[in-house]
Amino acid sequence: MALLDKFAAADNLKAQLSAVGHDPTQVVIDKIITATEGLVEGRHTILAGTNNYLGLTFDTACIEAGKQAIETQGTGTTGSRMANGSFAAHKALEQDLANFFGVPYGMVFSTGYAANLGTLTALLKPGDAVLLDADAHASLYDGCQMSGADIFRFRHNDTASLEKRLQRLGERAADCLIVTEGLYSVMGDCAPLPEIVELKKRYGAWLLVDEAHSLGVYGDSGCGVAEAQGVMQDVDFFVGTFSKSLGAMGGFCTSRHPQLELIRYVSRPFIFTASSSPSIVASTHEALRQLQARPELRKNLWRNAHQLYRGLHDSGFEVGPEISPVVAVRLGKKEVALPFWNYLLENGIYTNLMAPPASPDQHSYVRCSVSAAHTAQQVERIIQVFCEAKEKL
Amino acid sequence: MNTRKNEIERRICELLASYLESSNHPELEAHGEITGDTNLASDFTLDSFQIMEFMMEIEESFDILIDVNSLSNSHTVSDLAEIVISSLDDTAG
Repeated sequence: MALLDKFAAADNLKAQLSAVGHDPTQVVIDKIITATEGLVEGRHTILAGTNNYLGLTFDTACIEAGKQAIETQGTGTTGSRMANGSFAAHKALEQDLANFFGVPYGMVFSTGYAANLGTLTALLKPGDAVLLDADAHASLYDGCQMSGADIFRFRHNDTASLEKRLQRLGERAADCLIVTEGLYSVMGDCAPLPEIVELKKRYGAWLLVDEAHSLGVYGDSGCGVAEAQGVMQDVDFFVGTFSKSLGAMGGFCTSRHPQLELIRYVSRPFIFTASSSPSIVASTHEALRQLQARPELRKNLWRNAHQLYRGLHDSGFEVGPEISPVVAVRLGKKEVALPFWNYLLENGIYTNLMAPPASPDQHSYVRCSVSAAHTAQQVERIIQVFCEAKEKL
Repeated sequence: MNTRKNEIERRICELLASYLESSNHPELEAHGEITGDTNLASDFTLDSFQIMEFMMEIEESFDILIDVNSLSNSHTVSDLAEIVISSLDDTAG
């Protein structure tokens, strides 16, 4: 096969996606107006698929923090922390993140993807065993694969399936790593962490929880699903991202284990990546303060989540298994879902299309993510356009 | 081919037929008999998700663990039988 022939499949996919109207992977938002509204092809569009859970992207304190950091620290770090040194702001953010999670150690990465790659490739080596939830994010799969460890999947959120694999691992179970998410981003369902923790303890395994979509969303303090389910002290490693509820870009790992500090010396995705720019670190840090100081953001978020989930459910849509700020609507075949998603976009609602093999089963979904910044009228409009789409298509 | 591998291949063929039937796979009838040479990706156009799902069926049936890393080039029933044998031998110690 010639070098470039391998793109034939992608070319075919591109043609399929474009044939119905807009390609869901190539939408251009010409202008961002607010955290929940943009202009797409001249249309005012409600942003209902951007994971902006707390709506902090236009928060005045976060913007001011970013501006000040640019003015006082410059536009970028021009290299990695190992080569160029850490800025004091990187260290301060790490400490505050650790404090927020109630653990001694914290580490920030340039993206959420890099956080998962950087943590997993450092924790695991060839010969180690990792038990991975079947619906885990690609960054968790990629981190496990890059590590060279033996990867065994268990059925999504199925603790019986997890236990069977722990049993089959025999003596290896006592040193394996269980990898799960807090809130799963496609269906909007949470991991049963107390049951997973019980198995972890019984078999002597380790546990890493990705709170990418649950940070700022779950728990009394906003730490995530482990806090909401009362098992924070039993999680060995928390990973997550700054690009959702914190409205910026970057990732992190926090832990009670002092070896997290040593990951800095061995993690290639950390060592060989330019560190986050001062403005990103500053706005992230301010967003973390806002998250803690303004619990009303979570209250608004959950009010909107209930409104959207209930509204779609009561309109006859097949929604995910539980109410959460991620609301997935099952639409069956891609041939149905693609025009549906196009109708939404052409009528001013931006959502996400999830089709096999990127969806967790054989069905296609349109996924919404709710924001604290959505108004009740915007949520009502989203439900209305979904209903129109169902009627017309 | 030895008897053990024959038997494992036969069981995988049955599992595959059952999996395709339960998922209403459109190419099941058109393809005809499933054999050791049947290729999951090219004969049944199973995508990566479906192949992973089917691997879990095999894991349950044989009570083994299959390393995700071992699946990248293992798309025929015969290849899968080799993986199952390897895993059974590992388990036996």
